[in-house]
Amino acid sequence: MTVSATTDEARASHVGIKLNNISKRYGDHVVLDDVSLNVEPGTVTALIGPSGAGKSTFLRCINLLERPDSGTIRVAGHTIEPGKNVSARDLAALRRSVGMVFQSFNLFPHMTALKNVSFPQQRVLGRSKEEADERSMQLLERVGLKEKAGQHPGRCSGGQQQRIAIARALALDPSIMLFDEPTSALDPEVGLEVLSVMRELAADGMTMVVVTHEMQFARDVSDTLVVMADCKIIEQGDPRAIMSDPQETRTRRFLRAVLER
Amino acid sequence: MTWLAQWAGYLPQMMSGLGVSLLIAGISIAAGYPLGLALSMMVSAKNLAVRTLGLAVVEIGRGAPALVILYLFYYGLPKFGIAFESITAACLALTWNAAAYSSEIMRAGIQSVARGQTEASNALGISQRDTFFRVVMPQGMRSAIPGLMGVAIQMFQGTSLAYAIAVPELMKSAYNIGSQDFNYLQIFALAGICYAVISMPATWITVFFEKRLARHA
Repeated sequence: MTVSATTDEARASHVGIKLNNISKRYGDHVVLDDVSLNVEPGTVTALIGPSGAGKSTFLRCINLLERPDSGTIRVAGHTIEPGKNVSARDLAALRRSVGMVFQSFNLFPHMTALKNVSFPQQRVLGRSKEEADERSMQLLERVGLKEKAGQHPGRCSGGQQQRIAIARALALDPSIMLFDEPTSALDPEVGLEVLSVMRELAADGMTMVVVTHEMQFARDVSDTLVVMADCKIIEQGDPRAIMSDPQETRTRRFLRAVLER
Repeated sequence: MTWLAQWAGYLPQMMSGLGVSLLIAGISIAAGYPLGLALSMMVSAKNLAVRTLGLAVVEIGRGAPALVILYLFYYGLPKFGIAFESITAACLALTWNAAAYSSEIMRAGIQSVARGQTEASNALGISQRDTFFRVVMPQGMRSAIPGLMGVAIQMFQGTSLAYAIAVPELMKSAYNIGSQDFNYLQIFALAGICYAVISMPATWITVFFEKRLARHA
Protein backbone atom coordinates (compact mmCIF):
# COMPACT_ATOMS: atom_id res chain seq x y z
CA MET A 1 0.00 0.00 0.00
CA THR A 2 1.09 3.56 -0.51
CA VAL A 3 0.17 6.51 1.57
CA SER A 4 0.63 10.01 0.30
CA ALA A 5 0.37 12.12 3.38
CA THR A 6 -0.35 15.79 3.42
CA THR A 7 0.30 17.49 6.69
CA ASP A 8 -1.88 20.37 5.57
CA GLU A 9 -4.49 20.22 8.32
CA ALA A 10 -6.76 22.74 6.63
CA ARG A 11 -6.92 20.73 3.46
CA ALA A 12 -7.23 17.48 5.34
CA SER A 13 -10.28 18.67 7.21
CA HIS A 14 -12.03 19.38 3.94
CA VAL A 15 -11.55 15.92 2.59
CA GLY A 16 -13.68 13.65 4.71
CA ILE A 17 -13.66 10.01 3.72
CA LYS A 18 -13.83 8.39 0.30
CA LEU A 19 -13.89 4.61 0.19
CA ASN A 20 -13.91 3.05 -3.26
CA ASN A 21 -14.64 -0.58 -4.14
CA ILE A 22 -13.57 -2.04 -0.82
CA SER A 23 -13.54 -5.83 -0.74
CA LYS A 24 -12.47 -8.08 2.09
CA ARG A 25 -12.62 -11.83 2.53
CA TYR A 26 -11.36 -14.35 5.03
CA GLY A 27 -10.54 -17.38 2.93
CA ASP A 28 -13.73 -18.25 1.08
CA HIS A 29 -15.86 -16.14 3.36
CA VAL A 30 -16.68 -12.76 1.82
CA VAL A 31 -17.10 -9.99 4.40
CA LEU A 32 -17.20 -6.92 2.17
CA ASP A 33 -18.18 -7.10 -1.46
CA ASP A 34 -17.12 -4.07 -3.48
CA VAL A 35 -18.39 -1.42 -1.07
CA SER A 36 -18.01 2.33 -1.74
CA LEU A 37 -18.89 5.23 0.52
CA ASN A 38 -18.38 8.99 0.61
CA VAL A 39 -18.46 10.93 3.84
CA GLU A 40 -18.53 14.70 3.54
CA PRO A 41 -16.45 16.59 6.09
CA GLY A 42 -18.44 17.82 9.06
CA THR A 43 -21.21 15.29 8.60
CA VAL A 44 -22.42 12.35 10.65
CA THR A 45 -22.95 9.01 8.91
CA ALA A 46 -24.81 6.25 10.73
CA LEU A 47 -24.14 2.69 9.63
CA ILE A 48 -26.98 0.31 10.47
CA GLY A 49 -27.96 -3.19 9.48
CA PRO A 50 -28.27 -6.74 10.74
CA SER A 51 -25.31 -8.38 12.46
CA GLY A 52 -22.90 -10.03 10.10
CA ALA A 53 -23.61 -7.41 7.45
CA GLY A 54 -20.00 -6.20 7.55
CA LYS A 55 -20.61 -2.84 9.26
CA SER A 56 -17.82 -3.12 11.80
CA THR A 57 -15.35 -4.56 9.33
CA PHE A 58 -16.12 -1.73 6.93
CA LEU A 59 -15.62 0.85 9.68
CA ARG A 60 -12.36 -0.78 10.71
CA CYS A 61 -11.09 -0.57 7.14
CA ILE A 62 -11.13 3.21 7.43
CA ASN A 63 -8.21 3.26 9.89
CA LEU A 64 -6.79 -0.02 8.60
CA LEU A 65 -7.47 -2.07 11.71
CA GLU A 66 -8.69 -4.39 8.97
CA ARG A 67 -6.75 -4.50 5.72
CA PRO A 68 -9.10 -4.67 2.76
CA ASP A 69 -8.01 -6.98 -0.06
CA SER A 70 -8.75 -4.37 -2.70
CA GLY A 71 -10.13 -0.88 -3.14
CA THR A 72 -8.96 2.64 -2.39
CA ILE A 73 -9.20 4.47 0.87
CA ARG A 74 -8.96 8.23 1.03
CA VAL A 75 -9.06 9.57 4.53
CA ALA A 76 -8.31 13.14 5.57
CA GLY A 77 -5.71 13.70 2.89
CA HIS A 78 -4.15 10.24 2.95
CA THR A 79 -4.69 7.92 0.01
CA ILE A 80 -4.14 4.23 0.55
CA GLU A 81 -4.17 1.50 -2.05
CA PRO A 82 -4.10 -2.07 -0.82
CA GLY A 83 -1.65 -4.44 -2.45
CA LYS A 84 1.56 -2.72 -1.40
CA ASN A 85 3.15 -2.46 2.02
CA VAL A 86 2.31 0.55 4.11
CA SER A 87 5.10 1.82 6.32
CA ALA A 88 4.57 2.11 10.04
CA ARG A 89 5.18 5.82 9.70
CA ASP A 90 2.47 6.37 7.10
CA LEU A 91 0.09 4.20 9.03
CA ALA A 92 0.69 6.29 12.14
CA ALA A 93 0.07 9.47 10.14
CA LEU A 94 -3.25 8.11 8.91
CA ARG A 95 -4.34 6.93 12.33
CA ARG A 96 -3.42 10.22 13.93
CA SER A 97 -6.14 11.96 11.95
CA VAL A 98 -8.75 9.30 12.72
CA GLY A 99 -10.01 8.66 16.26
CA MET A 100 -11.81 5.46 17.14
CA VAL A 101 -14.20 4.43 19.92
CA PHE A 102 -14.87 0.74 20.52
CA GLN A 103 -17.85 -1.20 21.81
CA SER A 104 -15.75 -2.58 24.67
CA PHE A 105 -14.09 0.80 25.47
CA ASN A 106 -10.58 -0.74 25.51
CA LEU A 107 -9.20 1.73 28.01
CA PHE A 108 -5.78 0.79 29.36
CA PRO A 109 -6.65 -0.75 32.75
CA HIS A 110 -3.22 -0.17 34.28
CA MET A 111 -3.39 3.60 33.76
CA THR A 112 -5.56 6.21 35.47
CA ALA A 113 -8.22 7.98 33.43
CA LEU A 114 -5.91 10.98 33.11
CA LYS A 115 -2.98 8.83 32.00
CA ASN A 116 -5.21 7.03 29.49
CA VAL A 117 -5.91 10.37 27.82
CA SER A 118 -2.42 11.83 28.25
CA PHE A 119 -0.23 8.87 27.33
CA PRO A 120 -1.16 8.76 23.61
CA GLN A 121 -0.66 12.53 23.34
CA GLN A 122 2.84 12.26 24.77
CA ARG A 123 3.76 9.29 22.59
CA VAL A 124 2.04 10.20 19.34
CA LEU A 125 2.09 14.00 19.32
CA GLY A 126 5.19 14.42 21.46
CA ARG A 127 3.43 16.71 23.91
CA SER A 128 5.07 17.21 27.28
CA LYS A 129 3.38 15.67 30.30
CA GLU A 130 2.17 19.09 31.44
CA GLU A 131 0.71 20.02 28.06
CA ALA A 132 -0.89 16.62 27.68
CA ASP A 133 -2.38 16.64 31.18
CA GLU A 134 -3.79 20.11 30.65
CA ARG A 135 -5.49 19.05 27.44
CA SER A 136 -6.68 15.82 29.08
CA MET A 137 -8.28 17.71 31.94
CA GLN A 138 -10.09 19.99 29.47
CA LEU A 139 -11.45 16.97 27.64
CA LEU A 140 -12.36 15.06 30.78
CA GLU A 141 -14.26 18.13 31.89
CA ARG A 142 -15.97 18.29 28.53
CA VAL A 143 -17.22 14.73 28.88
CA GLY A 144 -18.20 15.46 32.49
CA LEU A 145 -15.57 13.33 34.20
CA LYS A 146 -13.03 15.73 35.60
CA GLU A 147 -13.41 14.22 39.07
CA LYS A 148 -12.54 10.74 37.72
CA ALA A 149 -9.10 11.81 36.45
CA GLY A 150 -7.19 9.97 39.17
CA GLN A 151 -9.24 6.77 39.04
CA HIS A 152 -8.40 3.62 37.17
CA PRO A 153 -10.94 2.45 34.54
CA GLY A 154 -11.94 -0.51 36.75
CA ARG A 155 -13.41 2.00 39.19
CA CYS A 156 -15.55 3.70 36.56
CA SER A 157 -18.94 2.64 35.22
CA GLY A 158 -19.24 1.50 31.62
CA GLY A 159 -20.69 4.83 30.55
CA GLN A 160 -17.88 6.70 32.27
CA GLN A 161 -15.28 4.44 30.66
CA GLN A 162 -16.73 5.05 27.24
CA ARG A 163 -16.68 8.82 27.78
CA ILE A 164 -13.05 8.59 28.88
CA ALA A 165 -12.36 6.59 25.72
CA ILE A 166 -13.95 9.38 23.67
CA ALA A 167 -11.77 11.95 25.44
CA ARG A 168 -8.71 9.78 24.75
CA ALA A 169 -9.48 9.73 21.03
CA LEU A 170 -10.29 13.45 20.89
CA ALA A 171 -7.03 14.33 22.65
CA LEU A 172 -5.09 13.58 19.46
CA ASP A 173 -7.14 16.24 17.61
CA PRO A 174 -8.52 13.90 14.96
CA SER A 175 -10.42 15.29 12.02
CA ILE A 176 -12.60 12.17 11.87
CA MET A 177 -14.12 10.03 14.60
CA LEU A 178 -15.20 6.41 14.14
CA PHE A 179 -17.61 4.80 16.59
CA ASP A 180 -18.04 1.02 16.60
CA GLU A 181 -21.31 0.33 18.45
CA PRO A 182 -20.30 2.67 21.28
CA THR A 183 -23.39 2.02 23.41
CA SER A 184 -24.01 -1.67 22.72
CA ALA A 185 -22.21 -2.82 25.88
CA LEU A 186 -24.05 -0.31 28.07
CA ASP A 187 -27.32 -0.19 29.99
CA PRO A 188 -29.86 1.90 28.06
CA GLU A 189 -29.77 4.66 30.68
CA VAL A 190 -25.99 4.77 30.85
CA GLY A 191 -25.82 4.76 27.07
CA LEU A 192 -27.60 8.12 27.11
CA GLU A 193 -24.56 9.82 28.71
CA VAL A 194 -22.42 8.59 25.85
CA LEU A 195 -24.96 9.53 23.20
CA SER A 196 -25.24 13.06 24.57
CA VAL A 197 -21.45 13.49 24.32
CA MET A 198 -21.65 12.24 20.74
CA ARG A 199 -24.49 14.66 19.97
CA GLU A 200 -22.37 17.56 21.22
CA LEU A 201 -19.47 16.38 19.11
CA ALA A 202 -21.67 16.22 16.04
CA ALA A 203 -23.04 19.68 16.78
CA ASP A 204 -19.46 20.97 16.91
CA GLY A 205 -18.96 19.79 13.34
CA MET A 206 -16.88 16.66 13.85
CA THR A 207 -16.88 14.25 10.92
CA MET A 208 -18.29 11.05 12.36
CA VAL A 209 -19.03 7.53 11.18
CA VAL A 210 -21.10 5.57 13.67
CA VAL A 211 -21.97 1.89 13.56
CA THR A 212 -25.01 1.71 15.78
CA HIS A 213 -28.24 0.02 16.75
CA GLU A 214 -29.55 3.26 18.31
CA MET A 215 -32.21 4.13 15.78
CA GLN A 216 -33.29 7.29 17.57
CA PHE A 217 -29.73 8.60 17.45
CA ALA A 218 -29.34 7.57 13.82
CA ARG A 219 -32.54 9.41 12.89
CA ASP A 220 -31.94 12.56 14.92
CA VAL A 221 -28.22 13.11 14.64
CA SER A 222 -26.97 11.58 11.43
CA ASP A 223 -26.94 13.43 8.11
CA THR A 224 -26.66 10.23 6.13
CA LEU A 225 -28.05 6.84 6.97
CA VAL A 226 -26.28 3.87 5.41
CA VAL A 227 -27.95 0.46 5.53
CA MET A 228 -25.71 -2.57 5.12
CA ALA A 229 -26.77 -6.16 4.62
CA ASP A 230 -25.03 -9.21 3.19
CA CYS A 231 -21.59 -7.57 2.79
CA LYS A 232 -22.99 -4.62 0.81
CA ILE A 233 -24.54 -1.20 1.20
CA ILE A 234 -28.13 -1.74 0.16
CA GLU A 235 -29.52 1.72 0.76
CA GLN A 236 -28.28 5.15 1.79
CA GLY A 237 -29.60 8.65 2.09
CA ASP A 238 -31.61 10.90 4.38
CA PRO A 239 -32.26 9.02 7.63
CA ARG A 240 -35.87 10.19 8.05
CA ALA A 241 -36.74 9.32 4.47
CA ILE A 242 -35.26 5.83 4.72
CA MET A 243 -36.85 5.13 8.07
CA SER A 244 -40.30 6.24 7.02
CA ASP A 245 -40.18 4.88 3.50
CA PRO A 246 -37.44 2.29 2.88
CA GLN A 247 -36.98 1.36 -0.76
CA GLU A 248 -35.53 -2.10 -0.24
CA THR A 249 -37.42 -5.06 1.18
CA ARG A 250 -34.34 -6.06 3.19
CA THR A 251 -34.22 -2.57 4.76
CA ARG A 252 -37.92 -2.71 5.53
CA ARG A 253 -37.52 -6.08 7.23
CA PHE A 254 -34.59 -4.85 9.31
CA LEU A 255 -36.27 -1.59 10.30
CA ARG A 256 -39.43 -3.39 11.27
CA ALA A 257 -37.37 -5.64 13.55
CA VAL A 258 -35.61 -2.76 15.31
CA LEU A 259 -38.33 -0.11 15.33
CA GLU A 260 -41.46 -2.12 15.98
CA ARG A 261 -40.35 -4.36 18.78
CA MET B 1 16.46 -30.74 73.70
CA THR B 2 19.65 -32.38 72.45
CA TRP B 3 18.46 -31.78 68.88
CA LEU B 4 17.97 -28.09 69.54
CA ALA B 5 21.40 -27.86 71.14
CA GLN B 6 22.96 -29.67 68.18
CA TRP B 7 21.13 -27.46 65.72
CA ALA B 8 22.35 -24.37 67.51
CA GLY B 9 25.89 -25.64 67.07
CA TYR B 10 25.37 -26.38 63.36
CA LEU B 11 23.68 -23.13 62.64
CA PRO B 12 26.67 -20.85 61.83
CA GLN B 13 27.99 -23.21 59.16
CA MET B 14 24.47 -23.80 57.84
CA MET B 15 23.87 -20.06 57.59
CA SER B 16 26.89 -19.58 55.35
CA GLY B 17 25.56 -22.40 53.15
CA LEU B 18 22.12 -20.79 53.10
CA GLY B 19 23.78 -17.52 52.08
CA VAL B 20 25.39 -19.21 49.08
CA SER B 21 22.08 -20.86 48.12
CA LEU B 22 20.27 -17.52 48.29
CA LEU B 23 23.03 -15.87 46.26
CA ILE B 24 22.79 -18.46 43.48
CA ALA B 25 19.00 -18.27 43.48
CA GLY B 26 19.12 -14.46 43.45
CA ILE B 27 21.56 -14.30 40.56
CA SER B 28 19.74 -16.88 38.45
CA ILE B 29 16.41 -15.11 39.02
CA ALA B 30 17.81 -11.62 38.40
CA ALA B 31 19.49 -12.77 35.19
CA GLY B 32 16.91 -15.40 34.23
CA TYR B 33 13.80 -13.23 34.19
CA PRO B 34 15.07 -10.56 31.77
CA LEU B 35 16.42 -13.37 29.60
CA GLY B 36 13.05 -15.09 29.92
CA LEU B 37 11.33 -11.93 28.67
CA ALA B 38 13.71 -11.79 25.71
CA LEU B 39 13.04 -15.47 24.99
CA SER B 40 9.29 -15.00 25.20
CA MET B 41 9.59 -12.24 22.61
CA MET B 42 11.83 -14.39 20.41
CA VAL B 43 9.36 -17.28 20.54
CA SER B 44 6.58 -14.93 19.39
CA ALA B 45 8.76 -13.26 16.73
CA LYS B 46 7.80 -13.20 13.07
CA ASN B 47 11.31 -14.09 11.90
CA LEU B 48 11.60 -17.87 11.63
CA ALA B 49 15.30 -18.05 12.57
CA VAL B 50 14.75 -15.93 15.68
CA ARG B 51 11.72 -17.96 16.63
CA THR B 52 13.49 -21.29 16.15
CA LEU B 53 16.48 -20.19 18.20
CA GLY B 54 14.21 -18.96 20.99
CA LEU B 55 12.20 -22.20 20.94
CA ALA B 56 15.36 -24.30 21.07
CA VAL B 57 16.72 -22.44 24.10
CA VAL B 58 13.37 -22.64 25.89
CA GLU B 59 12.68 -26.29 25.10
CA ILE B 60 16.17 -27.45 26.13
CA GLY B 61 15.94 -25.38 29.30
CA ARG B 62 12.59 -26.91 30.19
CA GLY B 63 13.09 -30.35 28.72
CA ALA B 64 16.46 -31.28 30.21
CA PRO B 65 16.74 -31.73 33.98
CA ALA B 66 18.61 -28.86 35.59
CA LEU B 67 21.22 -31.33 36.85
CA VAL B 68 22.05 -32.37 33.28
CA ILE B 69 22.58 -28.74 32.25
CA LEU B 70 24.62 -28.17 35.39
CA TYR B 71 26.90 -31.10 34.52
CA LEU B 72 27.19 -29.95 30.93
CA PHE B 73 28.38 -26.53 32.04
CA TYR B 74 30.72 -27.80 34.72
CA TYR B 75 32.09 -31.05 33.27
CA GLY B 76 31.20 -30.74 29.59
CA LEU B 77 32.37 -27.30 28.52
CA PRO B 78 36.01 -27.66 29.71
CA LYS B 79 36.33 -30.00 26.73
CA PHE B 80 36.07 -26.86 24.59
CA GLY B 81 38.47 -25.01 26.82
CA ILE B 82 35.68 -23.22 28.68
CA ALA B 83 36.00 -23.86 32.39
CA PHE B 84 33.89 -22.28 35.08
CA GLU B 85 34.17 -22.22 38.80
CA SER B 86 31.55 -24.47 40.33
CA ILE B 87 29.47 -21.56 41.63
CA THR B 88 29.54 -19.82 38.23
CA ALA B 89 28.49 -23.02 36.49
CA ALA B 90 25.61 -23.37 38.97
CA CYS B 91 24.48 -19.79 38.34
CA LEU B 92 24.61 -20.26 34.56
CA ALA B 93 22.70 -23.53 34.58
CA LEU B 94 20.00 -22.25 36.89
CA THR B 95 19.77 -18.99 34.95
CA TRP B 96 19.00 -21.00 31.83
CA ASN B 97 16.44 -22.98 33.79
CA ALA B 98 14.81 -19.84 35.20
CA ALA B 99 14.82 -18.14 31.79
CA ALA B 100 13.19 -21.11 30.08
CA TYR B 101 10.42 -21.53 32.64
CA SER B 102 9.76 -17.83 33.15
CA SER B 103 9.63 -17.17 29.40
CA GLU B 104 6.64 -19.49 29.00
CA ILE B 105 4.88 -17.90 31.97
CA MET B 106 5.50 -14.41 30.57
CA ARG B 107 4.40 -15.46 27.09
CA ALA B 108 1.16 -16.85 28.49
CA GLY B 109 0.66 -13.63 30.48
CA ILE B 110 1.28 -11.46 27.45
CA GLN B 111 -1.03 -13.57 25.29
CA SER B 112 -3.77 -13.30 27.89
CA VAL B 113 -4.00 -9.53 27.36
CA ALA B 114 -7.21 -8.74 25.48
CA ARG B 115 -6.82 -8.11 21.76
CA GLY B 116 -8.79 -4.89 22.11
CA GLN B 117 -5.83 -3.38 23.97
CA THR B 118 -3.56 -3.73 20.96
CA GLU B 119 -6.32 -2.54 18.65
CA ALA B 120 -7.02 0.55 20.73
CA SER B 121 -3.32 1.33 20.86
CA ASN B 122 -2.97 0.81 17.11
CA ALA B 123 -6.01 2.95 16.41
CA LEU B 124 -4.45 5.75 18.46
CA GLY B 125 -1.35 5.56 16.28
CA ILE B 126 0.91 4.46 19.14
CA SER B 127 4.03 2.73 17.80
CA GLN B 128 4.35 -1.06 17.88
CA ARG B 129 7.19 -0.69 20.36
CA ASP B 130 5.22 1.48 22.79
CA THR B 131 2.17 -0.72 22.31
CA PHE B 132 4.16 -3.73 23.45
CA PHE B 133 6.24 -2.21 26.23
CA ARG B 134 3.77 0.30 27.64
CA VAL B 135 0.34 -1.20 26.97
CA VAL B 136 0.51 -4.97 26.55
CA MET B 137 3.54 -6.02 28.58
CA PRO B 138 2.64 -4.28 31.87
CA GLN B 139 -0.74 -6.00 31.81
CA GLY B 140 0.71 -9.36 30.81
CA MET B 141 3.36 -9.18 33.54
CA ARG B 142 0.69 -8.49 36.13
CA SER B 143 -0.97 -11.79 35.44
CA ALA B 144 2.42 -13.51 35.24
CA ILE B 145 3.53 -12.41 38.72
CA PRO B 146 2.18 -15.40 40.71
CA GLY B 147 3.72 -17.85 38.24
CA LEU B 148 7.05 -16.01 38.30
CA MET B 149 7.11 -16.10 42.08
CA GLY B 150 6.51 -19.84 41.86
CA VAL B 151 9.53 -20.18 39.60
CA ALA B 152 11.60 -18.15 42.06
CA ILE B 153 10.78 -20.62 44.85
CA GLN B 154 11.53 -23.51 42.52
CA MET B 155 14.90 -21.90 41.68
CA PHE B 156 15.78 -21.51 45.34
CA GLN B 157 15.07 -25.17 45.96
CA GLY B 158 16.89 -26.04 42.74
CA THR B 159 20.10 -24.56 44.13
CA SER B 160 20.41 -27.81 46.13
CA LEU B 161 21.51 -29.43 42.86
CA ALA B 162 24.67 -27.37 42.98
CA TYR B 163 25.71 -29.73 45.76
CA ALA B 164 26.52 -32.21 43.00
CA ILE B 165 29.37 -30.02 41.74
CA ALA B 166 30.66 -29.19 45.21
CA VAL B 167 29.32 -25.65 45.53
CA PRO B 168 29.38 -24.83 49.26
CA GLU B 169 25.64 -24.21 49.42
CA LEU B 170 23.14 -25.34 52.01
CA MET B 171 23.07 -29.05 51.11
CA LYS B 172 26.84 -29.20 50.88
CA SER B 173 27.16 -27.59 54.31
CA ALA B 174 24.69 -30.09 55.72
CA TYR B 175 26.53 -33.00 54.17
CA ASN B 176 29.87 -31.80 55.49
CA ILE B 177 28.54 -31.44 59.01
CA GLY B 178 26.86 -34.83 58.77
CA SER B 179 30.03 -36.56 57.64
CA GLN B 180 31.85 -35.26 60.73
CA ASP B 181 29.62 -36.72 63.43
CA PHE B 182 27.18 -38.89 61.46
CA ASN B 183 24.07 -37.15 62.84
CA TYR B 184 22.56 -37.21 59.38
CA LEU B 185 18.97 -37.25 60.61
CA GLN B 186 19.37 -34.10 62.65
CA ILE B 187 21.40 -32.21 60.10
CA PHE B 188 19.21 -32.97 57.08
CA ALA B 189 16.10 -32.21 59.11
CA LEU B 190 17.67 -28.84 59.85
CA ALA B 191 18.51 -28.39 56.16
CA GLY B 192 14.88 -29.11 55.30
CA ILE B 193 13.75 -26.55 57.83
CA CYS B 194 16.16 -23.96 56.37
CA TYR B 195 14.69 -24.45 52.89
CA ALA B 196 11.15 -24.37 54.27
CA VAL B 197 11.75 -21.22 56.31
CA ILE B 198 12.44 -19.37 53.05
CA SER B 199 10.04 -21.21 50.72
CA MET B 200 6.92 -21.26 52.85
CA PRO B 201 6.62 -17.52 53.48
CA ALA B 202 7.43 -17.00 49.80
CA THR B 203 4.50 -19.28 48.93
CA TRP B 204 2.24 -17.35 51.26
CA ILE B 205 3.28 -14.10 49.58
CA THR B 206 2.51 -15.67 46.20
CA VAL B 207 -0.97 -16.69 47.36
CA PHE B 208 -1.50 -13.19 48.75
CA PHE B 209 -0.55 -11.68 45.38
CA GLU B 210 -2.79 -14.11 43.52
CA LYS B 211 -5.74 -13.04 45.65
CA ARG B 212 -4.94 -9.37 45.28
CA LEU B 213 -4.62 -9.61 41.51
CA ALA B 214 -7.85 -11.62 41.28
CA ARG B 215 -9.62 -8.90 43.25
CA HIS B 216 -8.51 -6.09 40.92
CA ALA B 217 -8.89 -8.03 37.68
